[in-house]
Amino acid sequence: MTGRAGTRIPLTICVGLLGIAVAYPLGILFLQSVFPEILGGSFEGFMDAYRRIGETPEMVRLIRNSLAWAGATTGVAWIFGIPCGYLLARTDLPGKLWARLSLLVPIMTPPYIAALSYILLMQSGGFGDTLTGGLPEGLRAWFFSFWGVTLVMALSSFGYVALAVEATLSEIPRRFEDAARLLGASWHQTLRRILLPLLLPAILNSGLLVFLEALSNFGVPAVLGSRSNLPLLPAEIFYLVTSWPVDLALATSLSSLLCLFALVSLYGSRWLADAFGGGAYRPGAMSVQRLGPLWTLAGWGFIGGLFVLSSGLPYAAMILTSLAGSWGEGWPELTMAHYATLFEPGSRGFEAILTSLWLSVAAASVCVVAGSYIAYVNIRSTGWLQSALEGLATLPRVIPKIVIAVALILAWNAPWVPIDLYNTAFMLLLAYVVVYITDTLNYSNATLWGMSEHLESAAEILGAGRFTVFTRIVLPRLRPALLAAWLTTFMVCMRELVASLMLMPPGMDTTATYIFSQFEQGDISLAMAMATVTIVISTVVLALFTLRRSHGARAGARALGEVEG
Amino acid sequence: MTHDDSPFLEARGLVKSFGSERVLRGVDFRIRPGERLVLLGPSGCGKTTLLNLIAGMLEADAGELLCEGSRIDAPAHGIHQPMRRRGFAMVFQDFALWPHMTVAENVAFGLKMQGLSRSERSERVRQVLTMVQMEGFADRSPSRLSGGQQQRVSIARALAVRPRLLLLDEPLSALDARLREDLKGELATLLRQSGVTSVYVTHDQSEAFTLASRIALMHEGRIEQIGTPEEVYANPASTFAATFLGVSNLLPYSRENGHFLLGDRESLTPVVLNGVGDTAPADGRLMVRREAVTIHEGRDAPSDSIVLSGICRRKDFLGDRHEAFVEVEGGVTLRGFAAPGIVEGTRVQVRFPPDAVRFLTH
Ligand SMILES: Nc1ncnc2c1ncn2[C@@H]1O[C@H](COP(=O)(O)OP(=O)(O)OP(=O)(O)O)[C@@H](O)[C@H]1O
Ligand SMILES: [Mg+2]
Repeated sequence: MTGRAGTRIPLTICVGLLGIAVAYPLGILFLQSVFPEILGGSFEGFMDAYRRIGETPEMVRLIRNSLAWAGATTGVAWIFGIPCGYLLARTDLPGKLWARLSLLVPIMTPPYIAALSYILLMQSGGFGDTLTGGLPEGLRAWFFSFWGVTLVMALSSFGYVALAVEATLSEIPRRFEDAARLLGASWHQTLRRILLPLLLPAILNSGLLVFLEALSNFGVPAVLGSRSNLPLLPAEIFYLVTSWPVDLALATSLSSLLCLFALVSLYGSRWLADAFGGGAYRPGAMSVQRLGPLWTLAGWGFIGGLFVLSSGLPYAAMILTSLAGSWGEGWPELTMAHYATLFEPGSRGFEAILTSLWLSVAAASVCVVAGSYIAYVNIRSTGWLQSALEGLATLPRVIPKIVIAVALILAWNAPWVPIDLYNTAFMLLLAYVVVYITDTLNYSNATLWGMSEHLESAAEILGAGRFTVFTRIVLPRLRPALLAAWLTTFMVCMRELVASLMLMPPGMDTTATYIFSQFEQGDISLAMAMATVTIVISTVVLALFTLRRSHGARAGARALGEVEG
Repeated sequence: MTHDDSPFLEARGLVKSFGSERVLRGVDFRIRPGERLVLLGPSGCGKTTLLNLIAGMLEADAGELLCEGSRIDAPAHGIHQPMRRRGFAMVFQDFALWPHMTVAENVAFGLKMQGLSRSERSERVRQVLTMVQMEGFADRSPSRLSGGQQQRVSIARALAVRPRLLLLDEPLSALDARLREDLKGELATLLRQSGVTSVYVTHDQSEAFTLASRIALMHEGRIEQIGTPEEVYANPASTFAATFLGVSNLLPYSRENGHFLLGDRESLTPVVLNGVGDTAPADGRLMVRREAVTIHEGRDAPSDSIVLSGICRRKDFLGDRHEAFVEVEGGVTLRGFAAPGIVEGTRVQVRFPPDAVRFLTH
């Protein structure tokens, strides 16, 4: 591919921006982990922190715990997700639309809200006790342990696996299976030798997503881990940075290790997929397995059961708690008082909602504008600067959020920084943008890769300048992708917990920090009312955009018809 | 006790519909062991459907299919033998090589399913890959092979299991013309040498002639005619058979007191057919293959030929000779091969031997 002439300046600008936003903080973080005194201007204590980690048994156990927990979560998510994907893609299960929706609900629910709801459900004197008249203590003990926390995390992420498996299974042509059956393979031999290997890349990719999410998730370990005596890396890093005595050296070296694990699992899963699965093929017609009434029942039992566990129970606990008037024996009285408190102008809760709204709108807009331009510049240039840009752009994709948050604190708190960004809300805005610009880049790239450069050349030949080409030709084509990116970014910012907790200036709240702190302080009903409000806002925004988009799609189809007709 | 001519595979009145569309409308045939049957017919006539029925990918709506005397598909009896128990193998149009296995693994798959030992497997894989001239490619991934090479591997995969019946669905149609020609010849040799009973689907008559020991001509969900390539070519049973295979002159005729009147307009050309056609129906179509017809300038014809006179309307160069279109009286146009020196617009003679004439009623 040839690079477009004169992309040097925009390319330099993009590299510079990402350099300041991403590379500089991560560089500081890494340096600090290696030279604990570097911010004081000294190179003393080289590798001290890493040595300390290696010599402290708790630290080693912590790391082992984290890896084991993320691995277990991935395994459970596979067990839940792969059969769901198969049922959706390859059987005549009735009501697939509902099944798909039921997978989306847990994906849309912030994991820490699900975890909080589960605490309400399972704790002694909680809803579980009220419903059943006393949960078995064995079950409670099991829940507040390694596997219970694993279950909660897996329930909130198995949807990724199911959707990825479904997408791939619907593309594998039935010829592959026919050929195997004809040569004498039984159903399960065909499954094992043909379908599974072809499915492996999808399984690994979605598994990687779940693994990284679990490894770097802060919310679930923070609320459930401490109650389950299961210390995990992200929560540990958080406490090292935020509570006294602050140990930046240890925090940054644990962060660096976390990044290392993320990178290793990324490349490891790629290697596995290449080695054992895959191969290119053209999608083709696929076979659909007829389920008897018994299997239909079993299929729906599986999907429905997962829905009850992943969404039904936590949502019920969340909503009921948000409406509960007083706590005591039996069913509480229902009241709207907590919502009234939240929406009282000037109250802490109301301020938190407003802060979250403007921050999310601003972050999503900045992401979309900057991200689309960076993606465009990246795809239309070549050379080492482009490679640098590409590399920088992939960093936020793999670096855990908590690490980025720690890095930003270090970078903007450093003695040489002239502006006082730290301790303002703009620090948080910057963090949101750095963490979530990935979504815009992904969405834009997907469209840009399929877009012929000739479209732009055609405009340039007619005399359009580079800026005109971008705004008149490229942007309109990117619009659906950017809309989706904006929406995604808005929703994830609305619920972002760890960056908010770490970077929020004192006296300010976002919805997530509000939920977290109210829960920790024991005002559980208010926390759950806020959780409900957050989810309702996200859902409403999503619904509005979906309506508009289907409207837009119809208009587009009409326009196309006119051109062809 | 089995006789040599007892059928290996027999279809009786096979019927298959998709929704309201009747795709197979009662198919009957018998295949003897070692026979290479080619299902030939235009696009959409139901060839693939019939092949998939034989393979067991589809179940018939009515009729029955017997293999070595036992029913393998008989809806009336509730019988449908699953395809993996039939011991057949298939070569697909789109190759259907598993992309996650190497060439050797693809070929070995069926052998593994048969429970062959590792050493037997690798020996057999080597053997069939040599047969299809792909021995150097055992460890390649199929995606790194050309279309022709992929199809060779696909053929090897099917032959490796020594199937009772080999099914091939337009195996050459995804390849370009030159490659198709080469592979056609090789495939013909391969099928003949291995002696495997096969059913080969195509809409290309040259493939059918090269590969078939018998051709089943399919048309609109039925088998129109079945026989050796020579039989089907020489004695087409219907207008469809005559036009689908080869190039023919089809002339409407009627018979009046020993004379044949050609053409369907008022002015008819009376022809005397020396002796042939005494048993022909009173009216129908008279068929003469193009290659039996010659066009001459001269006036003196050999006495054993049927001779018509007309004006040469067009002459086309075919590469090795010329083809001419001649309008004879009665508005009938005949095509044949032109002798040297024929000029467009001049009066010429059309000759063909009486024994080249066939009479068709439908
Ligand atoms: N799964 C199906 N569902 C509905 N209709 C089908 C299906 N398969 C085939 N048909 C229809 O049956 C008819 C015959 O199809 P078939 O594939 O057997 O034709 P064919 O002779 O193999 O044609 P071609 O030479 O184009 O491959 C076609 O009209 C096709 O539309
Ligand atoms: Mg076909």
